[in-house]
Amino acid sequence: MILLAPAVIYMTVVGFYPLVYSAYISFTNYNPVQGREGAWIGLENYVTALSDGQFWHSLLLTGIFTVLSVGLSLLLAILLALLFNKQLPGFLILRTIVLVPMLVTPIAVGIIWRTMMNAEHGLLNFLLSILDIDPQPWIGSSASAFASILLVDVWEWTPFLFIIVLAGLRGLPASPFEAAAIDGAGAFRVFFNITLPMLRPVIIIATLLRIIDAARTYDTVYILTRGGPDFATDLASIYLQRVNFQFFNLGYGSALSWLMLLAILIVVLVYVKLTGFLRLASEKEPA
Amino acid sequence: MTVYSAAHGAAPSRAARFTRRAAGAAGAYVLAILATAFFALPLVWIALSSVKSEADISAYPPMWIFTPTAANFEELFGKLKAFDALLNSAFVVCISTLLAMIMGTMAAYALARFSFRGKENVALQVLSIRMMPAIVSVIPLFIIARSLGVFDTPWLLIAIYALNGLPFVVWVMRVFIQDVPKSIEEAAMIDGCGRYEVFFRITLPLVVPGLAAVLVIIFMFSWNEYLFASMLTSSHAKTLPVLAANAIKPKAISWGLSSAAAVVMSLPVILLVLSAQRYLVRGLTLGAVKG
Repeated sequence: MILLAPAVIYMTVVGFYPLVYSAYISFTNYNPVQGREGAWIGLENYVTALSDGQFWHSLLLTGIFTVLSVGLSLLLAILLALLFNKQLPGFLILRTIVLVPMLVTPIAVGIIWRTMMNAEHGLLNFLLSILDIDPQPWIGSSASAFASILLVDVWEWTPFLFIIVLAGLRGLPASPFEAAAIDGAGAFRVFFNITLPMLRPVIIIATLLRIIDAARTYDTVYILTRGGPDFATDLASIYLQRVNFQFFNLGYGSALSWLMLLAILIVVLVYVKLTGFLRLASEKEPA
Repeated sequence: MTVYSAAHGAAPSRAARFTRRAAGAAGAYVLAILATAFFALPLVWIALSSVKSEADISAYPPMWIFTPTAANFEELFGKLKAFDALLNSAFVVCISTLLAMIMGTMAAYALARFSFRGKENVALQVLSIRMMPAIVSVIPLFIIARSLGVFDTPWLLIAIYALNGLPFVVWVMRVFIQDVPKSIEEAAMIDGCGRYEVFFRITLPLVVPGLAAVLVIIFMFSWNEYLFASMLTSSHAKTLPVLAANAIKPKAISWGLSSAAAVVMSLPVILLVLSAQRYLVRGLTLGAVKG
């Protein structure tokens, strides 16, 4: 057990202690800038949060963002994986290039797309002009900003799902496909009746990891829009960060962060329950 | 006669099949190149921007042919002291990765080889640390850092990154160590090796792919991390993402400079991960999907 001790002690001291502390602060009015020392105010922060329209707006936005981003990138990733599953010469290099966006530092992703989406000299509007489409304001207008950050997130994280789904495809046994070929099943039937069900475990694991990360998206959106214009991209993590480090309402901010954690937790637990994730994760034990 | 007609009938259909297959391959290439362009174009664009002058960047239509300049990189490493940030990043990420890997592999070995109660909770622990919005712990850590006097030093970041990586290491290494048959270890023990000797000389060399998978992943996450780094450092311990984010001022953005920062910051991790690409999938999926 001496082997376990360092990890367990470490996780308790560095991981658990700040959590307890954070929970405690969430019941106080701590605000170092306004000189409030952190008197115990019970549930007041949580009550305030319930009627904080800005918070619920950001939470809802985060939910929509997560569903759309993960859904779209999963769809794209499956299509890409089917495409790149063909072993044609040169595909290995192309596949490697497709991987790169997920490796790029999120802050850099934000920088990249800010230059791409610049209304005056950005590359996107130039590409649109080639196709004879009017220039778009992208992140500059509240109507298009949300779609724009979705585009960036899909660009950044489709490769993550893609590489996992592709690995899953490569790992499938050949015999069901041979049997289907003998029976003369069409490509669509093979995909929906054989490929997709057999990929299910892989997709479930990858999607869960993506959901968790998408719900916490911060870096790229911070660089791209800082939540604007008009709060159109004000994801929960962006709003929380503003409460904490612009207004220094650390007590209230802590309460909000616990509510956000709770929201993610509920989503994940429902997901785990519906998909049997834990069973999948431990089924992978060696035979 | 019958032989002739059969051959005659087969020939066009074979040709048709061949054309269909060729058309399919051509279509696949077109789609694959389009898809690759979608993912690669922004990267090419930022690389070009990083060696453009400010005037060339603002040109419209975009310039594809121009005189490259190193001015952005000179400013980045000169005025912005990016080299210090690079060193900070490297130091923080290397030490924290090492810490997480040592503690994590030890724990993983215990979990894989000995049985005790509560073992299955590890999966949930990994997940819960992944779920935690950084926002939850950044406030207490901010306060603790101030009171302990470790604000703006690399140590706090090291502690946090090691913590974030730890559950990953434990989980993935557990899967890999379980793949090593117990009988190999037992054989070594019969030959007179002690437990520790068995671990270091038999088991550890066999799980090198696992170590590589974990290393790649937690290196990547720590190197790219921004939120903690931005909140818990101000000038001395600043890492590259913080420096780059600061280069983006709300009003006057220096496009060339921030592009150069994006390139300098992303290149090391891209090169590292691509060189260890075959371990990537297993690491990313907590060992559940073999890549």
